[in-house]
Amino acid sequence: MGVAKINKLELYVHNSVVDSVVASLQETGGCEIISREEDNGSEDYSSGRLQELDSFLSEARFILRFLEPYYQDPISPVSRAFGEKPSMSIKDLSSLSKTTDAISVSEDMRKLERRLVEIRSELSQISGFQEMLSKLQTLEYPLEFLSHGTEKTKGIFGTIPVNQLDNWQNEVQDTLGADAESFIVPVGEKDKEAWAGLFYFVGTEARALEICSRNGMSRIDIPAELTGKVPDEVARLKKKTVSLHKEEKRININASKAAADWVPVFRALSDYWSLLRSREEVFESGEFTDQVVVLRAWVPDDYLDTVYNNLSEYDSLTEVIKSQPMPDEEPPTLMQNSNWVFPFESLTKLYGPPKYGDIDPTPLLAPFFFIFFGMCLGDGGYGILTLGFFLYFVRKYKKMPSGMKQFFLLFVFSGFASIIVGALTGSWFGNMIDAFPFLHYLQPLKNMPIVLDPMNDPMTFLGISLAFGVVQIVFGLCVALYGSLRDGDYIAAFGDHGGWLVFLVGLMLLGGSVSGKLSPSFLTVGKVLGITGALILIFTQGREKESLVQKALSGVLSLYNVTAYLGDVLSYSRLLALGLATSAIAMIINMLSGLATGIPYIGWVIAIVLCFGGHLFSVAVNVLGAFVHSLRLQYVEFFSKFYSGGGKHFEPLAYNTRFIDVSENVKNV
Amino acid sequence: MDLLGIMLAVLGAALAAGLAGSGSAIGIGVAGESGAGVMTEDPGKFGLVLLLQALPGTQGIYGLLIAFFAILKVGLLGGGGALEVSVWQGLGVFFACLPIAIAGYFSGIAQGKTSAACIQMIAKRPEETGKAVILPAMVETYAVFALLMSIILLNGIQI
Repeated sequence: MGVAKINKLELYVHNSVVDSVVASLQETGGCEIISREEDNGSEDYSSGRLQELDSFLSEARFILRFLEPYYQDPISPVSRAFGEKPSMSIKDLSSLSKTTDAISVSEDMRKLERRLVEIRSELSQISGFQEMLSKLQTLEYPLEFLSHGTEKTKGIFGTIPVNQLDNWQNEVQDTLGADAESFIVPVGEKDKEAWAGLFYFVGTEARALEICSRNGMSRIDIPAELTGKVPDEVARLKKKTVSLHKEEKRININASKAAADWVPVFRALSDYWSLLRSREEVFESGEFTDQVVVLRAWVPDDYLDTVYNNLSEYDSLTEVIKSQPMPDEEPPTLMQNSNWVFPFESLTKLYGPPKYGDIDPTPLLAPFFFIFFGMCLGDGGYGILTLGFFLYFVRKYKKMPSGMKQFFLLFVFSGFASIIVGALTGSWFGNMIDAFPFLHYLQPLKNMPIVLDPMNDPMTFLGISLAFGVVQIVFGLCVALYGSLRDGDYIAAFGDHGGWLVFLVGLMLLGGSVSGKLSPSFLTVGKVLGITGALILIFTQGREKESLVQKALSGVLSLYNVTAYLGDVLSYSRLLALGLATSAIAMIINMLSGLATGIPYIGWVIAIVLCFGGHLFSVAVNVLGAFVHSLRLQYVEFFSKFYSGGGKHFEPLAYNTRFIDVSENVKNV
Repeated sequence: MDLLGIMLAVLGAALAAGLAGSGSAIGIGVAGESGAGVMTEDPGKFGLVLLLQALPGTQGIYGLLIAFFAILKVGLLGGGGALEVSVWQGLGVFFACLPIAIAGYFSGIAQGKTSAACIQMIAKRPEETGKAVILPAMVETYAVFALLMSIILLNGIQI
């Protein structure tokens, strides 16, 4: 239980079998290869294979990026997100990789993609032309005049402010007379600019242009491609559009066919190539000599047998040396917990895994988180919804990735906790059973297990919340005490943690008996414990200071930390507040639904919508709140006593795949 | 009937829902601006961003809750008809609403800013979502305490 014991393996492998050995290590999924230290004199391992795999991977990525939009995945995206993947064996993958010519497929796809881009840009160009031509429908001359100009005649086309139009026409008439002909597209009422053109003899170009620019014409270039008369051009463009659309459709059909053929293949291959790539990275961590390769790996106890088993085949060509991690080394952390505690590992992981050899806080926080979540959500109905929702997914998607499964199971457990608390406090969707007359027959059933109704007696519930706080904080101090004892740090064990434990327990007994909650016989015990604890603290807390005065001073001042413990305990009052908030929100939803039934005719529809919508919203908000706040109590109030995280996860060389499951284990690829 | 008492309670309810709601609205707004910025780069983060943006929303809910409690207390809700509430009792309900009104307003804004910063954090490190959710929750603690105080105070007033 807790943090798994990890061994350091040193493997000496003959060069001839190193590929197969690494492949079998990957198959076990139980070795984290230790990176080679820098500059230790061994030669760099560099083979062309890494570059080759990288280039294959980039081809596969391109093909998938291009084809995936066309692909109809038989597995729905939701199922995929929950870890449903097709299975393939390494042998199949390897032969698939040999028979597939990735480069030629990707070249074909690139051609298709390029042509599609061209077609799309041509189409958008054409639609621009068409818009322009629609303005010029009244023009009788071929567009050649405007786009190129002929030997004798040229034209200019553009927009002119509407209020300048008359002036411009007059000037053209006056100055150029019969040498020019103006042309105006009919102007709409609201237009501020008019489209207009002017044809002139080449000889009068300078004057013509001068008139135009004086009247604020901004020129629009007619593309050289347009030469004929407007209706002819319109017809030609239309024909071209039709043929381009046809071609686009054909390419899309081809791409869809290619997608159906190639997407599954390249998904599998991209997984295969990346797992080959991770093997290549192992070689980079190894030390090479002429004959042997030295690999170092962290292997947890549980995987040792499998690893030895897989290596037995190469017995004569490998040598394995097992050793324990040295104190200055930092092995990775693998948490191992029983099925009951397993889901709570995700909470420890969120904070940061423990260092190797430290205490795994998961089993310690699990019962507290369970109870706290139950109290924060505190409603049986919402508990059933949470439990049902997450249990459905866990049962439906068996192949869910482990981290996700942990998280979902955590909510299954939490929902269960909430049902228990809901039953004990008589809260089922708030006061639904009391609020709606047609549910009244359930009242006896609901009332039976009720121990306490926080709505009527919040102070008792507050007391329970704070008591849990005291228990968890004292427990945290005990764990810290144990941790220090284990490390042999006796001063920290008895001075820091023990001192506080005695002091706090003494204070609590004292407070209890003074206020009359406990029998007066505890008064003396409390006093003795309190004073002993305080003395221990005064004597030990200043031990790092130099002079006697400083020692005494920091010892006495350390007693002020008692306020921090007070604050920690009060922080647990949130258990009451959140529990009450859940019940109260549910109660208000029930009340509003009840009021809505009073509306004539459609009242009951509104009531049902309010009731369902309201409770769904409420369960979502309150589950989030309950989760976050129960978690905070673990992280801030509990962990601060003994836990600092700071480890790193065990990341073995394994089949880390995205699209497929590697199923049968076939060796020797 | 002494209407002033009831109206004081109504004022308290109005402040609780109004101020705490405003705090949440500002907080969610600030977080949303930050989220929109992140999503221009990576629209796939919508789920995470939405989660963090929703966190400062609880103050508004707490305020609404206390507002309902307050008007329930003086009998304005629930069909029983308004109760006889003296000015002192009304003033008591009004005061009891203040913790969540004040703390809800300010903590909503502060939590919004923290959420906004955490949204920036998950833009760069999406794997640290757990930590990003905890930081805004630290701010919310004080809204929870205010809610608790308001509930206890309301509970203590006898009408």
